[in-house]
Amino acid sequence: MSDRGEVDLTGAKQNTGVWLVKVPKYLSQQWAKATGRGEVGKLRIGKNQGKAEVSFTLNEELTTIDSSSGKAPVVRAPREHPFTMQTVGGQTLAVFTETSSGQSDAEGSSSGTGTGPDKIALEGVVVQRAECRPAASENYMRLKRLQIEESSKPHRFSQQLDKAVTTNYKPVANHAYNLDYEKKKKEEGKRARADKQQVLDMLFSAFEKHQYYNIKDLVDITKQPVIYLKEILRDIGIYNVKGTHKNTWELKPEYRHYQNEEKSD
Amino acid sequence: MTSLGNSSSTGTEYIVRVPKNTSKRYNIMAFNAGDKVNCSTWTQARMERDMSNRRMYGEEETPEAGAGSEFGKKQREEARRKKYGIITKEFKVEDQPWLLKVNGKAGRRFKGLKKGGVTENASYYIFTQCADGAFEAFPVHGWYNFTPQAKHRTLTAEEAEEEWGRRNKVVNHFSIMLQRRLREQEHGEEEEEVAGEKGGKKKKKKGGKGGDLRIHDLEDDLEMSSDESDSSGGEDGEGKSKSKKDISSKAKAKKKKKRKGSDQEGLEDSDDGDFEGLEVDYMSDESSSEEEEPEKAKPNKGDDVPKGIDEASESEEESEEENKNEEEGKEEEEEEEGKKTPVQTEKKKKKEKESSGESDSSEDSDIEGETASALFMAKKRTPPKRGGRGSAGSSRTGSRPGTPSIDNAATSNTLRAAASKLEQGKRQAATSSSDTPAAKRLKMEPSSQSPSGKSTPQPASGKSTPSSSDVQLTEDAVRRYLIRKPMTTKDLLKKFQTKRTGLSSEQTVNVLAQILKKLNPERKNINDKMHFYLTE
Repeated sequence: MSDRGEVDLTGAKQNTGVWLVKVPKYLSQQWAKATGRGEVGKLRIGKNQGKAEVSFTLNEELTTIDSSSGKAPVVRAPREHPFTMQTVGGQTLAVFTETSSGQSDAEGSSSGTGTGPDKIALEGVVVQRAECRPAASENYMRLKRLQIEESSKPHRFSQQLDKAVTTNYKPVANHAYNLDYEKKKKEEGKRARADKQQVLDMLFSAFEKHQYYNIKDLVDITKQPVIYLKEILRDIGIYNVKGTHKNTWELKPEYRHYQNEEKSD
Repeated sequence: MTSLGNSSSTGTEYIVRVPKNTSKRYNIMAFNAGDKVNCSTWTQARMERDMSNRRMYGEEETPEAGAGSEFGKKQREEARRKKYGIITKEFKVEDQPWLLKVNGKAGRRFKGLKKGGVTENASYYIFTQCADGAFEAFPVHGWYNFTPQAKHRTLTAEEAEEEWGRRNKVVNHFSIMLQRRLREQEHGEEEEEVAGEKGGKKKKKKGGKGGDLRIHDLEDDLEMSSDESDSSGGEDGEGKSKSKKDISSKAKAKKKKKRKGSDQEGLEDSDDGDFEGLEVDYMSDESSSEEEEPEKAKPNKGDDVPKGIDEASESEEESEEENKNEEEGKEEEEEEEGKKTPVQTEKKKKKEKESSGESDSSEDSDIEGETASALFMAKKRTPPKRGGRGSAGSSRTGSRPGTPSIDNAATSNTLRAAASKLEQGKRQAATSSSDTPAAKRLKMEPSSQSPSGKSTPQPASGKSTPSSSDVQLTEDAVRRYLIRKPMTTKDLLKKFQTKRTGLSSEQTVNVLAQILKKLNPERKNINDKMHFYLTE
């Protein structure tokens, strides 16, 4: 595990320069659809009267946009995208990658889920920032309009129903659940006092599992009437009034036998 | 290249690829320009997620079974959460900050916090040029802003608050942290006791620093000078703690006075306090200040160089002599008011006797430093001790003029507490020590500030010669009070507490009424209360 966390600094040492490009959402969606080796387009870098001009041209095949409604694409993505170059500015931007060994899906995996330790590598430093802008064209305008229309649709809307809703609650004399409950109670009958020793055994085994018990839970477990149970409990246990475990019963110290305590009884 | 007619433009075309199925996730590590981070200078780096937030979501303090567990706890907790609609956020490893350590242990450390909203509306891609000239674009998965982490020591919130309170007083800000460091060193060394000398020196230095810083703060701008004075002060401190000679105590007193003077010039200005010392003549040893003093002095001296003005003034007034006893007094404080150093007390008392003589003399602010401190030192000592001194003690206590009028409330509260304690001690001691003056003083209301010590005539009223420490309800005493400042009947009554005078409250009231009739003081309405005063 000593390798874990060790950053591979080859990129930094070589001072590999990279570009940080901001790309519109639709374009990145189109890029995700690229086939084959992933070629998406061409980047043209030219020098026009001393200024560098960079422009990206999207491949023809990727200009079709599948609209969400499934209809034939009405709009096509624009092809020309000039880049606006910017300086990195005050920040020092470095690029680091996280690789997870043992996973092969495209998404990679976060360090938490990787089967092996992640490799962190410094790929390089950003030397140029750019923004990919679509060239203003009819295509683009149409695309934008479509996007706006879609996003302006409310997520919740009112819908008229054909018939009245009948799945709501109808008045009932007594709920099924209640009937069952009462039946169960009747069967159980009143709780009878069992032998004291038996009750004690039950209690001790219960207290072995947990240290603190509510009186109700104990009644449930032992099926004894409350008063009787309380008497027995007063013998062997104490009642916590304050503290974190308030209103709970626990065994007296001498009866306890927990691992971090010493037993005396 | 279909550039139209612009022959000057040349260009090259590159193919852009967006590789799929890459297991690498690209992230941005952003540093601020001001941090001057140059990645190429890094020789070695380690980075891992900061998992310190995990326990917030874990919440597994209670054991599930066995000891300490409750039956059905989990279900109850869950039901409770549902009832109140508490939704705890998941702990996502992806969103946790990074901890980056560069160049090993001695290098820099950075913390990288994830920046949100990067991938919401636009995607960032990293364009790298490959060997074949084509560009490869990788989407950026996350953006982390890395900030350097301070390796130097910083103040905690409480300490910062303290320092803030002192900001007007402290000129030499550089020494604040230095002091802290020395203090810590000292704590560490105390246990080890390794290089005794070194430790001793440091202690000295520390003590000196602690003590002197207080004094010199406003005088020395440079650390250097403070250092020098530190060493000398340190020696002083040491001497004091060891011998508690009059000289040292005097020096301390002087220092205290100096500090007091410098720090609380305003306080001294009030005329009110000028005559406070008058009555202290018969004030017994117990000055509530004593109790305060040990406390205050200790923090003063040693660790808490930062102190609010209130505290400072309190400690100053009450425990000028505290400084003398600081080293020892440190531990004692609330206890029997410095029982531990009876010897010194005695010494001080002696000194006080000599120096103070009559309480009146101590009025003088000039003498205040010396005598007051002396007195206070003595006062600090348990009343029983003072008991023997009797009048000397009483006179001593009185010499504390001009208790700063600033924190009357604070002081009086503490004074009262101390006073009551002193009273008890006195009771126990069963000496007719001059507790009363001091106690009375302490019990004085804020408005009255200075515990107006009373000359202590013999019990049973009447103007008898000041005996040991019982405050007597005499015309003289009342007159003195009223001359000094206007007082209400309530105030006067307070001064002549039944415990002190030995009279019952009824008797006190009667006697006081008689005296007032005799004196026939003038009346003035202050704050809707009738105050009496005499002008002579």
